[in-house]
Amino acid sequence: MYQKLLTVFIMVLLSSQLAFAQTGAISGQVTDADSGETVPGANIYITELERGAASDIDGNYVIENVPAGTYSLTATFVGYRTFRQTVQVSSGQTTTVNIAMQIGAIGLDELVVSGYAVTTKRELTGAISSVRAQDIQDVTLQNPESLLQGRAAGVNVTATSGNPGGAFRVNIRGNGSVNAATEPLYIIDGVQISFAQQSGLTSTTALNALNPNDIESIEVLKDASSAAIYGAQAAAGVVIITTKRGQQGRTQVTARAETGVRTLARNVDYITSEQYVQYLGEGLQYRSQLGLVAAPADWTINEFADNRRNFLLGFFGEDPNNAGQLANTNWQDFIFDDGVTQRYNISLSGGDESTSFYLSGGFEDTEGTAYNSDFTRLSLRSNLDHQINERFRTSLNVNLSRSTQFGVCQDGNFINCPPSQAMFEAPMSFPFLADGSYNPLTRFGLDTNPAVVRDEVDRNVAVTQIISNLNLIYRVNDWLTLNGLVGVDYRNTEDSQYRSPIAAPGQGGFATFANRNVRNFNTNLVANARQTFGGVHNVSGLVGTEYRRDYSESMLVAGDGFPGPFFKVLSATATPTQAAGVFAEWRLGSYFANAKYNYNERYFLDLVMRYDGHSRFGNETRWGFFPSIAGAWRISEENFFNVDFIDELKLRVGYGTTGNSQIGNYAARGLYSAAGSYQGSTGLRPTQLANVNLGWEEAREINIGLDYEILEGRITGAVDVYRKSNTNLLFARPLPSDSGFSSITENIGEVQNEGIEFEISTVNVNTRGFMWSSRFNIAFVQNEVISLPEGNDIRPDNTFDALRIGQPIGLIQTPRWAGVNPADGRPMWYDADGNITYTPVQNRDAVEYKDGVANTVGGFGNTLSYRGLSLDAFFQFSFGQWAFPGTDYYFTRTPDFLMNMAVEVEDRWRQPGDITHYPRAIQVGTDFPETNDYRTQLGTQAVYNASYIRLKNVSLSYNVPTRLTQQIGLNNVRVYASAINLLTWTAWPWYDPEVAFDTRDIYNNSTSASYPTERQVNAGIEIRF
Amino acid sequence: MKKLNFMKYAVIAVLLVGFAGCNDILEDVEPPTSVSGELALSSPEGINALRASMYSKIRENFGFTTNYFIGPSAFADEARIRPGATRYDNLNAAIGTSGTAHLSFWSNDANSNAYNIIQDANLIAGAIPDGVIPAELAAQYRGEALAIRAFIYHNLVKLYGYEPGNFGQGPEGNWDAGVVLRTEPVIDVADADLRARASVDAVYTQIFQDLAEAKQLLSGINGDNTFATEAFVDGIAARAHLYAGNWSEASAAAQAAIANFPGSLQDSQAGVGGMFFEDAGNHPEALFKIVINPNTENSTGGGSFVNNGPAGYTSDQWVSQLPTQFLIDKYDEDDYRLGWYAPCGEAQRIGAPASNCDAVNANGWSLTKFNGVKGNAVDDLPYMRLAEMYLIWAEAAGKAANDPNAGVAALETLRNARNAGPVPSFGSITEMENFILDERMRELAFEGHRFFDLKRLQRDIRNPNGSIKMFADSYRILAPIGNTLIGVNPQLVENPGY
Repeated sequence: MYQKLLTVFIMVLLSSQLAFAQTGAISGQVTDADSGETVPGANIYITELERGAASDIDGNYVIENVPAGTYSLTATFVGYRTFRQTVQVSSGQTTTVNIAMQIGAIGLDELVVSGYAVTTKRELTGAISSVRAQDIQDVTLQNPESLLQGRAAGVNVTATSGNPGGAFRVNIRGNGSVNAATEPLYIIDGVQISFAQQSGLTSTTALNALNPNDIESIEVLKDASSAAIYGAQAAAGVVIITTKRGQQGRTQVTARAETGVRTLARNVDYITSEQYVQYLGEGLQYRSQLGLVAAPADWTINEFADNRRNFLLGFFGEDPNNAGQLANTNWQDFIFDDGVTQRYNISLSGGDESTSFYLSGGFEDTEGTAYNSDFTRLSLRSNLDHQINERFRTSLNVNLSRSTQFGVCQDGNFINCPPSQAMFEAPMSFPFLADGSYNPLTRFGLDTNPAVVRDEVDRNVAVTQIISNLNLIYRVNDWLTLNGLVGVDYRNTEDSQYRSPIAAPGQGGFATFANRNVRNFNTNLVANARQTFGGVHNVSGLVGTEYRRDYSESMLVAGDGFPGPFFKVLSATATPTQAAGVFAEWRLGSYFANAKYNYNERYFLDLVMRYDGHSRFGNETRWGFFPSIAGAWRISEENFFNVDFIDELKLRVGYGTTGNSQIGNYAARGLYSAAGSYQGSTGLRPTQLANVNLGWEEAREINIGLDYEILEGRITGAVDVYRKSNTNLLFARPLPSDSGFSSITENIGEVQNEGIEFEISTVNVNTRGFMWSSRFNIAFVQNEVISLPEGNDIRPDNTFDALRIGQPIGLIQTPRWAGVNPADGRPMWYDADGNITYTPVQNRDAVEYKDGVANTVGGFGNTLSYRGLSLDAFFQFSFGQWAFPGTDYYFTRTPDFLMNMAVEVEDRWRQPGDITHYPRAIQVGTDFPETNDYRTQLGTQAVYNASYIRLKNVSLSYNVPTRLTQQIGLNNVRVYASAINLLTWTAWPWYDPEVAFDTRDIYNNSTSASYPTERQVNAGIEIRF
Repeated sequence: MKKLNFMKYAVIAVLLVGFAGCNDILEDVEPPTSVSGELALSSPEGINALRASMYSKIRENFGFTTNYFIGPSAFADEARIRPGATRYDNLNAAIGTSGTAHLSFWSNDANSNAYNIIQDANLIAGAIPDGVIPAELAAQYRGEALAIRAFIYHNLVKLYGYEPGNFGQGPEGNWDAGVVLRTEPVIDVADADLRARASVDAVYTQIFQDLAEAKQLLSGINGDNTFATEAFVDGIAARAHLYAGNWSEASAAAQAAIANFPGSLQDSQAGVGGMFFEDAGNHPEALFKIVINPNTENSTGGGSFVNNGPAGYTSDQWVSQLPTQFLIDKYDEDDYRLGWYAPCGEAQRIGAPASNCDAVNANGWSLTKFNGVKGNAVDDLPYMRLAEMYLIWAEAAGKAANDPNAGVAALETLRNARNAGPVPSFGSITEMENFILDERMRELAFEGHRFFDLKRLQRDIRNPNGSIKMFADSYRILAPIGNTLIGVNPQLVENPGY
């Protein structure tokens, strides 16, 4: 029906005999108001027509084909305040507007994409953070999420994995859910991106499809009043990504090439084989003193150590290069090798009076440090805009990409995954025998020898993705525009895995192949209106309707048994072992409206309503209503306001409701599932009771903000305070088991987040040629569980995943560590009464210790530029998060399993009177009499501060003077060097203080063998002509 | 021109409200491996699949596999742990709350919740619309569902409550709480209301009512003992009446079962010895058995037989619970039923041959009623055998007539078939009861009876050496309901002592 209507609509509109009105043009030159120098590359924009031009190398611009009328013209360029002027265009004439730009921050004139419409920051009533292309142009990261890290106040971005192309957890204003996802909605040029059916082999993100070089801006709609227009998908915030577009003017070509190296951002120091022997010797000596093992009475530590050395020689074998000796392998270096990155981009943009374009192609190949890890991306983008006639405009964006990743396994104590192998292999083991063959005596045997896993296992992920949208814009009249959009996000992911017979001896080698498809479609039609009455009553608004369908499917096949090392394909396997396939689907239909009014740009009122119908919701709650109301008051416009140095002061207050529809595709349905079988008949049985009332989780948020602009725009920023209550949270309500069902999912439970966000950017020095600007943002958040089903805490005694009313999600409860007994080197804890105990009990002695909430996050940066030279340093920080490093803690601190041991053990207790934090040496955890196993007994000693400050990005660039470059026919050449994660300051003693298990981790207080964050140092050249 | 403008706005308006009639688009989304209840119950395939699920759930439920068959033996005096093995040693020792709690099959876990089976039975009995399948078939399915429901309820009530007439057995003095009765299908969440435990008498009333109707509906249907039949209905009735102390009814129902069952007692050495082997006798005396496919039904759906099946516990795989010398001593040397025993290492099919079997009985035997004959430690599961009917008949007839020798004929039939020698003349009911208890051990060891026989007769639970393990009046004779269930449903009252 929808398509039919669309056809009728287009026919009616096309058949209307439009008087072909006369058009005019606007042209002029852009200059620096102080120096009078021309400003090339400035954007000149007609707000009403949503199009414009860029100034050329001489600062000249022309916008043609402008229908006669009155327009508001803006000009923007980095480092300058926005120029605004009202322009009268007459038919057949060219209006000249010369633009003199004042140095300063863009401030409130900055254009912001706020959901179905573009507005200026001046008009904003909600809390939106923006990241611009110029902030991130030399930041060599793989995906948009990573670019947000530290740059938007209140947006907490944590790497879940350091492998290139890996995923990031993006958390906007705190955890608002327990059992439904808390990921924001991502929208690229109006296309809502699906995250269904991602690779099962490694950490990855659907946004890898987008080349960061193509990004013009990223807007984060943080509060409910600005996100309510996205209704049931917006409770965790909305991230709107806008790509670059062409401007009318000469075609500009930009080519970039860069290369660099990648290393681990942090290493962990492990002890040597000889230190290992000494440790074990001491352990054996204590063991014999305790009578746990018999040893000759005259043995000294040397004999005990020799005994252990011989044992280790028997266990691990002799060093292949040094007969009779233990090997001393640095497995960390073997597993995390330096990687090389290279990246090439070319983009063309330009256009004439009716058509403009932005074309780009990019290729990136980035090797990670873990063996085999690699990310490649080939991306092509074409953004076209065409003015069909006076009334019709169209644009087509196409983004094609194919990215590949090596499927590095991680996030768990897996014996065949690189991050855990770095902890599991002791220095005494070694990868290869003297003859070059694989050493069969690595910790878990031949098939998990890291060299075997490196050389005999393939895990390849290939993603082909199309993100595209077609817009048709129809100007009904001066005040009304219709915008129809059709967007697709099609993604195919191929996961192929191969293990040779050496790596999988049990199966004789195997191959698996998974094919995953996502067909995600959204379309909307929006009517935008804007009218001014009496010169002071500005009314604008939009009414729209939208439909989205997200269908995903996967097929998996596997086979065992290869005849030899010659084949890797399924056809060569002897036995098919698996054939599986599933699909999932959801649909969303919506209406929405937004009405805005402002009086003389002084008082603002903004109303939003969204009405969402979702296939996931129960029959009785199919449609949800999400309203918001917000207002703003530009105090600085009042007559009584006469503080000279304050240019702008705007108070914003907003309250709104949003929903989280990530409740599971079929959670509301009564389901009978195929299960069990009898005498050849497959069974069908009730597995889930319908909950016709099951609906979205709901977020209600109040936001109060203040935007300011001081000293002629030298200082700008905003402060926001919010309280967000997430109610109707999904929980399983237990049912009497005699009903045959154990629980039903219902909307019960509440979590609250409240916080303060502060953003400031300044131009500190701006004299001729030299500019120093700074930016800083910080956000504080506090998370609290308000209510739970039946008022009962969930898993109240658990260490890491307890949910307790009045406490934050991610609470860590563990017995308090009391240090090492100086008398005998035994580990000690405190019991519930504060007395020393050697045998703490979690249920009795645990205290509410810390939590995984990073309650203070932000970033700060400085940019210094002098003529063509520019230095930018950006730091990102996170405080307040504490976490348990599972794999490091359990496996690299004691010799129980003869795995790697961290240098921490060198601080061990050695003699009575020693005051230290590590107990005496042991053979196994039970060596301490009447004491809990030091390896597995958690306590506050096992929970580490994951706070850090990171020099996230530093870049130095130099514009080669034009007089040099013009001789070779180029007008702009820039060389640059940049580094990612160059320095980190943290108390975290393990690989990576960025703790997030995956993008949906809500506890963030425990990690196990995650792929650590990497450092990258690049150098590149950019040529424009 | 004006008209056209009007058209334009009209089209825009229509477009913007275009979804008003498109609610269907949102509802028209189906899950990949599930269907709605309406769809499942309104097609013959769906109904057949629901019936398959009901029988499958019996196999999937640990309470109706190893717990059903081996638990009551391990908990009493018929089985003991092989030194070095670990399964059911808690039941043998009955330390702490381990004991009847261990036999529990009323829980939040689908695979050990008897009510999950009742759930399917209630749907088949009460939620199938008319006309979807032929009326005759619908009647049969309803009969099967009522039979299975009665069978499950009887197993529940004998675990959680005292038998009718025995309410004074425990510490409370007069404790007649049974289990929650739920006989209507739970289709909506409102149906899953909180209910208190019905009295034992009420549960038995429901059982007899269901059986009466099932007998009518299944009348003459006795051809396939892998589904509920009329003879099985008679058998459940005989068993339930025996537990309820309705001696005449028990005797009559047992005789009806014998009459309706198409087979007869095995009376040769080979016939008796091989009756449990699917590749030999293949359960010729089973009034009802569940058939299991060892290749597809061994490790899914909860009934992982390789680790958990009765064979894995007794004579295959783990060889954990072995027959006690006390049990073996009950047999005369010519008794054909000794053919069910074999040296444990020889009988074992999976795993390294077990050692230390002779620590439990002198010959180092295991009981091979469950032996993993079908592979993967899988056997078909016979829930009721013809021989039990003769034993019920004998006991009930004697007690009904208050004449210890009134049921001797039935006993003789059975013992003759087993080559077990003549039946002595009994001087008292107690003497008769003692003999029948021993005969039940000889015949029904490891088939789910010993503990419950002792309980219904209010006997103490003893160890194989005769020492007291649990007095008949101990609170631990009844299984606890448990805090998990009571936490969800405060109306549930815990059994005394827990």
